[in-house]
Order: sequence, then structure tokens, then C-alpha cells
Amino acid sequence: MPALATLQNGAEATGDEMVFPRGRWQFVHAIDFSIEGHAGSEVLGVTSLTGDEMACALMTVEGFTLFEAMYRQGQGVDVRRAVPPFDKPAFAAGLMTDVRTIFLAPGVATRQCGRSADGASLCRYTEADGEVTDIVLPATGECWQIRTYGADQRLARSVVGRSCRKMGALLVPEYLELKGFGPANYTLKMTLIRAENLGRQASQ
Amino acid sequence: MRRLVLFLLFLLLPVRAMAGDSAPASLRLRSVQADFVQEKHLNILAHPIISKGIFLFQAPQSLRWEYRSPVHSVLLLHGGKVEKFVEREGKVEEEQGGPLTSMQVVISEISNWLDGRFTDNAMFAVSFPKKHLVLLTPKDAGLAALISSIELKLADQPGLLDEVTIFEGPGSFTRLTFSNRVLNRDIPPSRFTKR
Repeated sequence: MPALATLQNGAEATGDEMVFPRGRWQFVHAIDFSIEGHAGSEVLGVTSLTGDEMACALMTVEGFTLFEAMYRQGQGVDVRRAVPPFDKPAFAAGLMTDVRTIFLAPGVATRQCGRSADGASLCRYTEADGEVTDIVLPATGECWQIRTYGADQRLARSVVGRSCRKMGALLVPEYLELKGFGPANYTLKMTLIRAENLGRQASQ
Repeated sequence: MRRLVLFLLFLLLPVRAMAGDSAPASLRLRSVQADFVQEKHLNILAHPIISKGIFLFQAPQSLRWEYRSPVHSVLLLHGGKVEKFVEREGKVEEEQGGPLTSMQVVISEISNWLDGRFTDNAMFAVSFPKKHLVLLTPKDAGLAALISSIELKLADQPGLLDEVTIFEGPGSFTRLTFSNRVLNRDIPPSRFTKR
């Protein structure tokens, strides 16, 4: 975790609205999953956002639905369909945490903003339980990054967006790479197929 | 899982005869080539996901099932071997899936379909609610939890399908529509072996 000393309270806030969709949005990605460096399967992922509610689904390229779940702030995850081997509770919890990390702004938290040592614009959200989320806009890149840390300050997830394009205030990456760290390291490579602002019914 | 997907693909093979009726030898399909459009509908989707591709079939047991968008993937069956390839970062790579033994079980289904043995199928009950419509309903509760029914819309030309709709549950289904079909034109074997 970058040293807190490099941050200044209240300085040059990174706009959440550039990273996290607000209102009704829907995203469809091609997702390539690999674990411990071993290639896995290519699936299609749907993420639908409506205020505090988030729905997501995974399906095969052939259209078979593997997993579908809803998440409501304060109510947790409601799994509606889960085909083996995607029916393990730990999978649902992990997947929904991945999706929340990418698409939902951190909840109530202490926020510090400023610049890190490498010149990136950074906002750090610290939860009451000590978990930390960094939202980073690199000085050299046009896209954003997210890093989450456990209460022990170890890196838990990193998300790197590439080839961002503007949709209103939002910077939508054409390509996202999420890495999960822990007992089993895994990577999700997500290529954008479709992004829609359903509030305005506009599509790409 | 992979077995199920492959099994569904085999529903799309040419229907040489229905309900146990055998076609005359002169009408037998040796090969089919077609384009397809796949619409995936899901309750949470504002609009269906549209995929497009081609399929090639050559009797007795060669198949190329290729998606060209939005994700490029190719499923090949030839000489009793099943392979699936997916394009990743510009490179076509073999996708490692379930054990090959389960695929072999699926391959054995092909000859049943091509012999028109729909009603002999152990997995689905078959009914004919309308002319040109075949309804397949899973017999097994485990399979029924995944697929509620499959609807086959037959083309006017005997032995071909216009549409296949796979219903998973309320609001969730996949519809495949076929076009530009070419029958009984020889297809080079390399089309079933090269990615």
C-alpha cells in the first residue's frame, strides 16, 4: 500500500463519477478467467446497475446461463441460478465482491485525496474495519485503477482499466484486468462488448 | 457442464427425419453449411446479447460450430475427437474443459439424431404441439433444473431447422436462427480440423 504520507487531506479529489457508474447502467463483457496462471474458460458477463441494486450473470459463449445473482446494499447476495462448479457459496461471494469492486463506489468511509509519489491522482477510502480502497488516475494514462487492501494492509484486489472512453462523466474501459490475491491468485480479463446508460437509453 | 453445451449443439444438427421416420436414401443429408444468429435473453438484460457464426456438418460425424462475434470461438468434432478453441488477445488457443470422457458420451448421441431417433432419446420426452414444431422436455429432474424445454422449429424443407429455442426458466432463453443454408456440398476435411 502506498505510504499515507504521500497523500494530503482534501487535495485534488479524484472524481468518483469518472470511475463508478451512477444511475441505471448495463455492461456486457467477454471474460477470460485464469487461476494461478492456468487458462480457464471464456464466458460472457452481464452487470446491471440500478442505484443500490446490482445484478450480474455469467453465461457460456453458447448462451447457457451459469450463474445469476442480485446484490442489494444492506441485504447481501441473492443467488438465483448457479450451475456446478459455480454453485459454491464462496464463488458467489467472491464474484460479487469482484463486481462490486469494479462497479460500486466504496461505502461510507474516511476519504483522503491527493497525489501519490509517482504523480498519480489518488483517493483512499478507509472503512471502519480497516479495509482500504484506492482509486487511482495515473498521471500518464487515460484510464483508472482500483486497488483494495485488507485490514492487514495486504493487497486483496487490483483492477486496471485500459483504453477508456468517455460516456458522459464516466470513463468506460474497453479492457479491464482484475487480479485477486490470496490463497489462490486469479485473473479476470474483461473485454467490453456493450455499455449502456439505461437512464438515457443510449447505447454504444 | 461442457457435456451439456455440446449436447445442445447436437440439437442443431440437421434433422434428417422426425419421430422415427427414416428419409429415403436419395434425400439423405450428406452435409449442411449455414449461418446462425444467437439471441440470448435474460431477465436482467435490457437487450438480448446477439452472437453470430457459422456451422458446418458433414456426415457421418464432423462438425464445425464457429462463433465469429462477439467472441471468436470454434468447436470442432472430427474423427471422434472434440476440440474447442477460443481467441484470446489475438491468439487462438485450445480451451481446456471437462474430461474428454464426457464428450465421448455426447458424440455417441450424434448417430441417434442423424438416424431420426428423437423419440428414442433417453434424456428428453418429445411432443409435436404444432406442425413444424417439436418440443423436447427433459425427463431427468437434474437436467430439468437447467433446461425447462427445447423448441425446434422445422423448416419447410424436410430435414432442416429454422430455429432452436432453449428455455432455461422464466425470462431466460437462447434462440438460434439459421440462414443461408447449403446442402450436400462437399466440405474439405480441413474445415473440421483447422481452427
